[in-house]
Amino acid sequence: MSNIFVETAHDAPLVWFDITMYGGAAFDPAGIEGLHRHAGLWARRGAGSRDRQTLDEYLDQLGASLEVGVGRDSVTLSGVALTRTIDRVIDAASDILAAPRFDVAEHARLLRETPQLIDEVRDDDAALATRWFDYRCCPGHPYGRTALGTEASLRRITVDNAAAAWRGLVGVNNIVIGIAGDVDEARAHQLGQRVLARVPAGQKIGAPTDTWTRLPGLRTTIVDKPARTQAQIRIGHLTPSYSPEQAPAIAIAEAALGGMFSSRLMQEIRVKRGWSYGAGCGFRRSRISHWFEAWMATGIEVAVPAVKLTREILSDFAENGPTDEEIDLARAYLVGALPFQRATARQRMQLAVRDTVMSLPTNFAAHLSAAIGATSGAEVRQACREFLAPDDVATVVVTTGDSIEDTIGLGHVMRVEAPDY
Amino acid sequence: MAWHLDTEFTVGGGSPVRRYRFDNGLIVLAAQNRSAPIVAVQTWFRVGSRNETPGATGLAHLFEHLMFGATESRPAGEFDRVVERTGGESNAATWVDWTYYRLTVPARDLALALDLEHERMNRLALDPAAVEAERDVVTNERRERVEDDVDGWLDEQLMALAFNVHPYRWPTIGWMSDIRAVSLETIRDFYRTWYAPNNAILVVVGDFVDDELLQLINSRQGNLPASTLPMSVRATEPAQTEPRVTRASKPIATHRILLGYKAPSQHDPQWAHLEILATLLAGCPSARLHRRLVIETEIASSVDAQLTPFAEPSLLRISITCARGHDAAEVLSIVDEELQRLIDEPCTELELQKAKHLAETDFWSGIADIDGKAEALGHHETALGDFRSLAELADRLAQATPADIHRAAKEYFVLSGRSLVIADPDGHDDEDDEDDEDEAELA
Repeated sequence: MSNIFVETAHDAPLVWFDITMYGGAAFDPAGIEGLHRHAGLWARRGAGSRDRQTLDEYLDQLGASLEVGVGRDSVTLSGVALTRTIDRVIDAASDILAAPRFDVAEHARLLRETPQLIDEVRDDDAALATRWFDYRCCPGHPYGRTALGTEASLRRITVDNAAAAWRGLVGVNNIVIGIAGDVDEARAHQLGQRVLARVPAGQKIGAPTDTWTRLPGLRTTIVDKPARTQAQIRIGHLTPSYSPEQAPAIAIAEAALGGMFSSRLMQEIRVKRGWSYGAGCGFRRSRISHWFEAWMATGIEVAVPAVKLTREILSDFAENGPTDEEIDLARAYLVGALPFQRATARQRMQLAVRDTVMSLPTNFAAHLSAAIGATSGAEVRQACREFLAPDDVATVVVTTGDSIEDTIGLGHVMRVEAPDY
Repeated sequence: MAWHLDTEFTVGGGSPVRRYRFDNGLIVLAAQNRSAPIVAVQTWFRVGSRNETPGATGLAHLFEHLMFGATESRPAGEFDRVVERTGGESNAATWVDWTYYRLTVPARDLALALDLEHERMNRLALDPAAVEAERDVVTNERRERVEDDVDGWLDEQLMALAFNVHPYRWPTIGWMSDIRAVSLETIRDFYRTWYAPNNAILVVVGDFVDDELLQLINSRQGNLPASTLPMSVRATEPAQTEPRVTRASKPIATHRILLGYKAPSQHDPQWAHLEILATLLAGCPSARLHRRLVIETEIASSVDAQLTPFAEPSLLRISITCARGHDAAEVLSIVDEELQRLIDEPCTELELQKAKHLAETDFWSGIADIDGKAEALGHHETALGDFRSLAELADRLAQATPADIHRAAKEYFVLSGRSLVIADPDGHDDEDDEDDEDEAELA
């Protein structure tokens, strides 16, 4: 039994497809962070009879794109093609899965390129804040491993371990395929089967090992960059993974706290005080326990007050949950928003693939709306008590370090330089 | 009838787009798409940063914030709550030639969306406290997107360098000093001047019936009085006669480069040819500059080329991030070689076909959902005066010949029309007193 999801729409002569494999950055061995990303990008650089240049030229000539994306829980080969070229693009994708050339020169080139991307992350304050937050939130957790890697971990990637990582992903039992757009259902299944016919049976990769606990207390990392006018702030903590039954209450809590313009964080941080252009939060959905994370970018002079206010809001939510009015608005928003999330064939296909990878029930996204509508305020408040831990938060502040002198109330403070990680 | 059907034309697949004109000057573009029970309502105004004046830059963008505030009949915060209660989404965008406000709501809430747009088009409260609060938010937005973002800084510097006269020279978000100083009276004047039905295009794409839509609009926006719009003042940028360079140190890891070559307006038939040149240079993995800079020589980690879709002549921009240990001069010498190659010899038919196929995919991807289609129609109607130019552009791209591309390269890739901005990493070897010499060399 293969996992092939098809959503048809004939309003544009395009076909999108996602070939998703379980396993991703969370499965990079400790110390070899970046391995799966490297393996995926390397496989894309030449396959079958085509070397990198020939493959790039071939796909561009077809007006197509074919890209590898590496997340924590999965690796996805995504493509879009004009309807008239979909067969050739699917065959090229199959080559990448089943017959990558693993050109040694490209392996070396990629190892030279990736540190440049780490530089680009460090040059981008928001991306840098996220990189440090993932690292500091729960050190050692599988999701804390950077998909990009570090300078040190990249040095441990070899031709052998990278090729083995890719081959470990590519198997019929480890692949979920989604196809959407201008293609009939039967034809789409034929295309999917054509991909699967080229790869070995393989084994489905299970969820990463989840043995980590939340670190207690308040921990703040100030990441120093010169000449900043703002502070990029991330605040959060590890949360237990939540079940499909708990998802509606979590979704309402998330929307009320930081998922809408009318949410508490946006109102308190932006609307009432003008401290940040935006403020929001999210409970990450993953295969194992993951983060709750709030974010904002404030003027330096209000960075510490903004962190303290955010913690106060989290404390209030953890203790009292959202108000009835906030719950009512968040519930209405989420119920009404469902048609937008499923408006196009491509969106429906991607939701089906995501639900499968996350082991959610069939048509989870389609049924979520009704479940949210039936969720009570008491269930939302219970979810806040269970999933928010305002006394055990990691905070990362990317700014010019010596501009933050008064750190009272931030708990244990560590000061680091941006290039340290 | 207060309106009449002006034009009916199919853009891409699906139902035709119909343009209706109301007696008060309001234009409505309506395109039905019943694939989901949702509707995109976008209100485009023919006002952007080019309509501002020195000392009051950022006004058009400030309205992108203020338009979500209180109206005469709705208190602050209600706009967002009402939209969110439907499950819908709202946002806005401002650029040089336009400002637009978008609402995407369930189809059953179409009348509500039109109510909201009707109210804020002429009954915005603009009370002092709300204006001051949004002024603070915008200063934070500017810090995040420009002061602390090297790409935002490069972009701002390039436009200021390339244009001496035309209003394209100042940033859409405005100079920080202007954002802080612009008076409430100036803000109110700007609103009274530009926010009127005869300066607006209402674009509606999704699940609706034309007759019902038009009746709803007629009793709302259709009832608003037309205003007297200012005479359109066209600024003509003098021809650039020599290359321009500016550079500064930034806390970044490697050198960043942003190049701009003077390019025609999107009205111009040659715009399509430059669009193809941008694709051939850096628009795909096999593009010329990408291959030379990123893959073969490895002296850059990324390269991109974009043609700005402006109503008046603007720029073809090439942005490059240098690789560690390599500097702007090395990269620019290869850029110059590749541009010269396009000047010296036409691209092959095969290479042109590649760009055409990629453009075809982009065209369909851009209008694949109702928001994207509404945005494409709104841009072309507002900035270029006719939504049908979207289809004309696709035709021009499809019909281009190697000779067309060659002619465009020879006409526009001229050194005297080039502006160059370089961000150097803090602590790089060049001392300030050497910069003038460097700039002369780079120019």
